[in-house]
Amino acid sequence: MKKLLLLLVALAFGIGLIGCTETTTVPTTEGTTTLEEVSLVVWASELDQTLMQSMIDSFEEEYADEAIFDITLGAVSEANAKDEVLTDIEAAADVFVFADDQLNELYTASALQEVVVDTADIIAANGGENAGSVQAASRDGKLYAYPMTADNGYFLFYDSSVYSETDVLTLDGILAAAAADGSQFTMQINNGWYLYSFFQGAGLSLTYDGSVNTCNWDDATTSVTGAQVTNAIIEMANNSAYVNLTDAEFVTGVNDGSISAGVNGTWNASVAEAAWGDNYAATKLPTFDIDGTAYQMSSFAGYKLVGVNATSEYSYWAMKLAEWFTNEDNQILRFESRGLGPSNVNAAASESVMSNPAIAALAQQSAYATVQNVGGNYWSPTETFGNLIVNGGLSSSSTAAEIQAALDTMVAGIEASSVE
Amino acid sequence: MSVTNIKTYRRNVKMKTTLKVIAQQVILAILALFWLIPIIWLIANSFSTQTGINIRQFFPEQWTLDNYYNLFFNTDTVANFPKWFENTLIVAIFSAIVSTMFVLMVSYAMSRMRFKMRKPLMNFGIILGLFPGVLSMIAVYFILKFMGLTDHLAALVIIYSGSSGLGYLVAKGFFDTVPKALDEAAKIDGASEFMIFLKIIMPISKPIIVYTVLVSFLAPWVDFVFARIILTSNDTNGFTVAIGMYNMLDRNLINTYFALFCTAGVVVSIPISLLFVLMQSYYVEGVTGGSTKG
Amino acid sequence: MNKIKSFFLNIPTKCKAGLNKTGSFFVRIGKEIAGVGKDFVSGDIFVKASLFVMGIGFFRRKQFVKGFLFLLLQFGFIYFILKVGAPNLAKLGTLGTVEYQQIWSDELRMNITNDYDHSLKILLFSLISIVIILAYAFVHFRNIKVQRQLQQDEKDGKTIPSFITEVKIFFDSKFHVTLLSLPVLGIIILTVIPLIFMILVAFTNFDQYHYPPLKLFTWVGLNNFKLLFQTGSSSVTYAYAFRRVVSWTLIWAFFATFLTYIGGILLALLINSKYTRWKKMWRTLFVITIAVPQFVSLLLVRNFFATQGIVNTLLANWGVTDWLIQNGFVSSSLSYIPFLTDEVWSKVMLILINCWIGFPYVMLITTGVLMNIPKDLYDSARIDGANKFQVFRKITMPYMLFVTAPYLITSFIGNMNNFNVIYLLTSNRITSDQLLANANASDTDLLITWLFKLTQDYYNYKMASVIGIVIFVISAIFTLLAFNYTIKSDKESRFQL
Repeated sequence: MKKLLLLLVALAFGIGLIGCTETTTVPTTEGTTTLEEVSLVVWASELDQTLMQSMIDSFEEEYADEAIFDITLGAVSEANAKDEVLTDIEAAADVFVFADDQLNELYTASALQEVVVDTADIIAANGGENAGSVQAASRDGKLYAYPMTADNGYFLFYDSSVYSETDVLTLDGILAAAAADGSQFTMQINNGWYLYSFFQGAGLSLTYDGSVNTCNWDDATTSVTGAQVTNAIIEMANNSAYVNLTDAEFVTGVNDGSISAGVNGTWNASVAEAAWGDNYAATKLPTFDIDGTAYQMSSFAGYKLVGVNATSEYSYWAMKLAEWFTNEDNQILRFESRGLGPSNVNAAASESVMSNPAIAALAQQSAYATVQNVGGNYWSPTETFGNLIVNGGLSSSSTAAEIQAALDTMVAGIEASSVE
Repeated sequence: MSVTNIKTYRRNVKMKTTLKVIAQQVILAILALFWLIPIIWLIANSFSTQTGINIRQFFPEQWTLDNYYNLFFNTDTVANFPKWFENTLIVAIFSAIVSTMFVLMVSYAMSRMRFKMRKPLMNFGIILGLFPGVLSMIAVYFILKFMGLTDHLAALVIIYSGSSGLGYLVAKGFFDTVPKALDEAAKIDGASEFMIFLKIIMPISKPIIVYTVLVSFLAPWVDFVFARIILTSNDTNGFTVAIGMYNMLDRNLINTYFALFCTAGVVVSIPISLLFVLMQSYYVEGVTGGSTKG
Repeated sequence: MNKIKSFFLNIPTKCKAGLNKTGSFFVRIGKEIAGVGKDFVSGDIFVKASLFVMGIGFFRRKQFVKGFLFLLLQFGFIYFILKVGAPNLAKLGTLGTVEYQQIWSDELRMNITNDYDHSLKILLFSLISIVIILAYAFVHFRNIKVQRQLQQDEKDGKTIPSFITEVKIFFDSKFHVTLLSLPVLGIIILTVIPLIFMILVAFTNFDQYHYPPLKLFTWVGLNNFKLLFQTGSSSVTYAYAFRRVVSWTLIWAFFATFLTYIGGILLALLINSKYTRWKKMWRTLFVITIAVPQFVSLLLVRNFFATQGIVNTLLANWGVTDWLIQNGFVSSSLSYIPFLTDEVWSKVMLILINCWIGFPYVMLITTGVLMNIPKDLYDSARIDGANKFQVFRKITMPYMLFVTAPYLITSFIGNMNNFNVIYLLTSNRITSDQLLANANASDTDLLITWLFKLTQDYYNYKMASVIGIVIFVISAIFTLLAFNYTIKSDKESRFQL
């Protein structure tokens, strides 16, 4: 006889479930006459917490006569925002900062609220519909996020005591100078983000139609083939002045003196500046050589965006807050306190921003950069392809067929609609 | 193969013993050093002035106590160790209470009482144990969410202690060794089962209670998977020690927080190691389910 | 070996016995229902009425509290069914059809959301409803029997027990019910229901592209199982990754278990040897390694062996790296030792690092057993002229194996699911196997970490659930083997005669 037990089971469930079905139904529909109580959760990088808190405080002050706010700030790095949001969209923050490479997956999952308040102003402030930052935040002609920074791309850092201004123009020049110095150059090739530079730079294409990627990196009929690009990468990888390092290892290497040049982004600018002092310099990516012709490395133009959760209960205020985080004043404030490059045209035009070497280098590179619009299946196959080169699985002794097979497999992975 | 003659053996025994003793100590010292190198590195780094990873040399160039001071008194938005410690302590205390009760209740019933469903329930428990816990994580999350319990320390207590009844085997092993005669004597005196449980068996079960309390108390300090999923708002002040520290090694943060991570590692490890060393013998009993007791 | 063989030979008979058992289970249920039917027919009006109003008979027999509680239970149940059970169960077949939609309203300054179906809620609530309905049905039908018994007791002139007396029973002869209720309830809510839920998910298309609340998912039958086992010609397939991951899981579990086992025993022998002084100190030194929480020690070790890590720097300074490169242990394109990045290196390192954790651990738990090996076994071996190695092989190991066999099997299963070591050391590792990468796996992934990655990074719950079921099946096979192969030490019978 387990009657008591069963009774408890039933009662507990009954109470629990009935209790919560009631609480999760109708969203509140209060008017705007009384002072609305608004509770919002914001996710921003651990490193930006103090700054974001000050912006939240000023936001609460600005709109104090319209609503009573209860805003919580959580720490989620821009790189992980997508993972945290998609795990449970309903429980995710109302407003969150993310890197633009995550826009597609967030958009596909319908997690982003379309920007419907002050849309035109926001687009204008960032340089109009054709501006990279607006494109990066839009899908199907609609704006889905607020551009916050335009500095999330990558470029070349170097120690000007090791490299001359002509050395840094070509990959070969960099490697020769590094070898002469006894230090090393790094650019992470087992990472689809950086690997893109070579293939795109050589004129190959990668496009995304909203559900699948299309990619001709394994096409043997293009004027420059993927196999030729691969050989160029292998040649770089085999050079003893080159080392493949992750972001964190790049920092260690710079601090340590073993790295004198590297491809990386603004987030590590302060590290390089501290290590190299007056010799700290930055410029666009170098050119690389295929059969005697020089090709300019391309790159992904990176932006940090602020998104509003589509399931947010207080969409209006969430949008207002996102707008606040990304307005001109706050972009300048962000540059001043954190060195992050503004996407807002007026903010970006200010003298202090223009004179920042890292941001100037990004501006130089922007001529060769493309907006990052790739599907989620791009990353894993490309990092593995790069890793094959790093580990010597693909080397100068590999046959053309081996390289072609590796390219084919990578492209099959990139183009897969989902794994079937 | 040469066979040592027993007589020669006896004659040389004294000198040989000395040599062997020295040899053994040397071997053990070398092994222990090898085993402790990472731990020494942990401690060394916690005294380093360099905030990132020092890859030039094993020991820091300059030694400092600043990391310890910062850990406790100079918190920032990434690292708020005192708060994490407090959170984890709260969760650990409550889940230790609930888990201990559950474990004792189940193990007592399974060991000392006889009822129709006993064997089936025990078999069912074994089957449940074969499913990977990670798998059901997301379903547990949604159940708690629909009960409105996520992002709260109480949810962590539920996660750590709710199904603790499944871990009854060790305690059952203990109760199995308590002679049945004790109960029978009490029964003749007219005691109810409840009174036997409370007044006869519990008082002599101190060792197993201590063990259960310690084991369940330790769980929240080392879990970095479940807590991460339950604490949805990602407010660093709401973290437990484990996820807070795990977060410090995020690739954006590792170069600024590595030394602090090591410091926190040392601070957390000291009490845990002490508890662990103290309860070694119970622990042995625990992992082997008593089966290695000859 | 014979025992293993006979285990497999016995499978058919065992299955038959199992079938008989399930058969008799249904027979019992049938009898139970028949019994209730008989009680219903032979009972008085109150017994009959209790089919509709559960507690009514109790009021007749003046057990008001009990009657009231049962009434409450019944109303609670009806309310639950109307409010939660029925609406969700109705949609269980499709898991919902109305997709999420929202329109921005400038006037209200908020999104207007339609009354959409939430597949996950439907599945979960349906499951919970079924559990509750079954539990309630059991109570309800049992109740009829109880009512009939009460009627009989009344007729026989027996005193009907008061509520207090009945409660007291739960602290005496039915004390186990009191003891077990809450813990079992906890297990049902936090373990059983989630497990059944995830098993069900294996038969749906719940993944990134069908993620509630914004998207619906639905039943797909055995499709996910086909995906996992079917090898296609395409280079984008789960089947290849599955084979690779399973074989590495088993290889890993084998080495992780047996190397640490033998190493740990040797360490224990060394420490407990009569030539060792300060035994306690040595033991404690080794135990400290495992007492440091794994997420601290393993994350530390990961940075210790990183490409730009202290070990690489030191070994390069000492010339070890160059020597390894010259002798072909490290690819010539590298200037560092790829401890945790190269496939072979990382697998070996994982096993070695696991030894680092495992030796002290096994040392700790085998010390007691080693002490218990009868002295005369050793003495007689020595008289026979056996050397140390022979003693270890012929006496120590067989004895240890005999006594610790159950531990070995559980630790094998434990290692198969050794999430911490693999995840903490190699979660960021990039594979060089393109086919693995296309299935979101890596060379060093165990089934359990692959499963975790699929859920956390790719929201691929359908495949993760299938893999979870596979893990269960493999674990179950090894557990059954273990139970058949070893003699279960049953202290119950030894001490409680």
